[in-house]
Amino acid sequence: MILLDVLTIPKDDPIAFTFFTGYMAMLAASIFFFFERGRVAGKWKLSLLVSALITFIAAVHYYYMRDYYLATGENPTALRYIDWTLTVPLMCVEFYLLTKAAGAQVGLMWRLIAASVLMLVAGYIGEAFNPPGGDTGHSVMWGVISTVGYVYVLYTAWFGEVAKLAEASNSEVVKTGVRTLAWFVLVGWAIYPIGYMCMPGGWLNSALGWSSANVDLFYNIADAINKIGFGLVVYNIAITSTNQAETA
Amino acid sequence: MTKAIFVFICSCLLLTPIIYNAGEVSSSFQMICCLPFLLFLGIPHGAIDNVLYMRNNKVSNTKFIAVYLVFVGVNVVLWILIPGIAYLLFLLLSAYHFGQSQYTHYFARQQLPHQVFFLFWGVSVLSGMIYLNIEEIYQIMNSYEDFAVFSSLHQQDVMYWLFIVSTGLTVLSMFIFHIRKDLTLEAVFMEILILGLILLCFFLMPLMIGFTLYFVILHSFKVLREEYNYLNSENIVTSVKGFVKLVAPFTLLSIIGIAMLFGLIYLEIWSLSYGYMLLIVISSITLPHVYVMNGFYNFLFSKGFFKMSSRGQ
Repeated sequence: MILLDVLTIPKDDPIAFTFFTGYMAMLAASIFFFFERGRVAGKWKLSLLVSALITFIAAVHYYYMRDYYLATGENPTALRYIDWTLTVPLMCVEFYLLTKAAGAQVGLMWRLIAASVLMLVAGYIGEAFNPPGGDTGHSVMWGVISTVGYVYVLYTAWFGEVAKLAEASNSEVVKTGVRTLAWFVLVGWAIYPIGYMCMPGGWLNSALGWSSANVDLFYNIADAINKIGFGLVVYNIAITSTNQAETA
Repeated sequence: MTKAIFVFICSCLLLTPIIYNAGEVSSSFQMICCLPFLLFLGIPHGAIDNVLYMRNNKVSNTKFIAVYLVFVGVNVVLWILIPGIAYLLFLLLSAYHFGQSQYTHYFARQQLPHQVFFLFWGVSVLSGMIYLNIEEIYQIMNSYEDFAVFSSLHQQDVMYWLFIVSTGLTVLSMFIFHIRKDLTLEAVFMEILILGLILLCFFLMPLMIGFTLYFVILHSFKVLREEYNYLNSENIVTSVKGFVKLVAPFTLLSIIGIAMLFGLIYLEIWSLSYGYMLLIVISSITLPHVYVMNGFYNFLFSKGFFKMSSRGQ
């Protein structure tokens, strides 16, 4: 008997609701990217595959996280961070793949991956090793360290190597696409700290009284926006570029 | 996104939780922390008003400084005779100037609708700063006798409606400018985000720290960059070092002047609070600075400077 045979979604639980819709949306997005991969030009196929992998890995984790949440009512922190450890570096790979044609070096990809790993490891320590009842000093310290990684990715996407390479690509599609992805990093990724600050001891929790249950609500919303949205931007770049090449 | 905006976002992300975690910060401690930034990074953006003005007007340096000092003198007299009016004038001019410096790089010209919009934006920021820190402002006004004259100007209801209306008009104007093709949709979203961040910064930070973050990073750095880019394009300065040398004399002179005034208060020769004195000094510098910068921006627009330089950078 699987958990879903005995557990139902409470009508007044938006977190459980977002776990289920998140799971289905990620799965649907994966299938979409896998199938659409056949319609784009060869140079975009790997990008589409990576987009599909990001949402597929997330879908599998969401499958486990929704059950975990329904069974225990607790935040599935470990599962969440395992998911991110795999998917966030893949998003950095997307940046590299998009700008590869303009001369991006593998070093760029590794630097972005290193920054994202710093962001995630610090976030995990901040969240998983938060003392019972919460410790503001602990959450602030690890939150700030995590932000350093985020700031590096943000800078690279807006001003650094990624932005410069996109500018040098001479492709309006790539320029617009990279700029849109940079917006995802600026706004979409900024939703995660809101969730982080809702945990016990976090300053949204202690100052505004936002419940720690909101952690998962914000994370689920952010995941849906960033993973599926990120993939759709990559898809849009790939399909537009392919169509332009065909009509030219 | 400009680099100034990037630095502001990073500073907010990194500093806000730390300062917020520190709990209540006294106004004197805030002043000690903020004053060096205001003096060494804020004042320089107005320290070459003479150079900027003389590029567009045939006037000698001596004459410029004389007129500048007359402006300062008139302002000081206003503060002595009618401090309430002087304070309101200072806020309105600052609001206009903040809005102007925030948006000039987006526009190809500066007409009345743009100027009204600058005022809306600045009023939104300043009224937001006052409304979101109203308790702290009341505390300062109750602690220092000389600030009591402004108590009627900071009524919570008035500030609330001023903030709501000006913010609403600011956002509405952004979309109108977008329809008129003066602002791209991306610029509208970016500016809404920035306005939100500035207000969030005022909400989370103590009054002076929040203001210093905005003033130094978003305002002063941006103006300094524009001044440098212009002077560099005219070959008046060819390096950052040369630019620093250009702004240094009047910056140092202003700092020495402020230090001397602080000394007068410290020696009890002048019975004013440090904060009130600083307000008068800043307003006295602001009055001619706003006039010079308005002319400078008009001059840049007439030369098509913002079209030539990379817009939004």
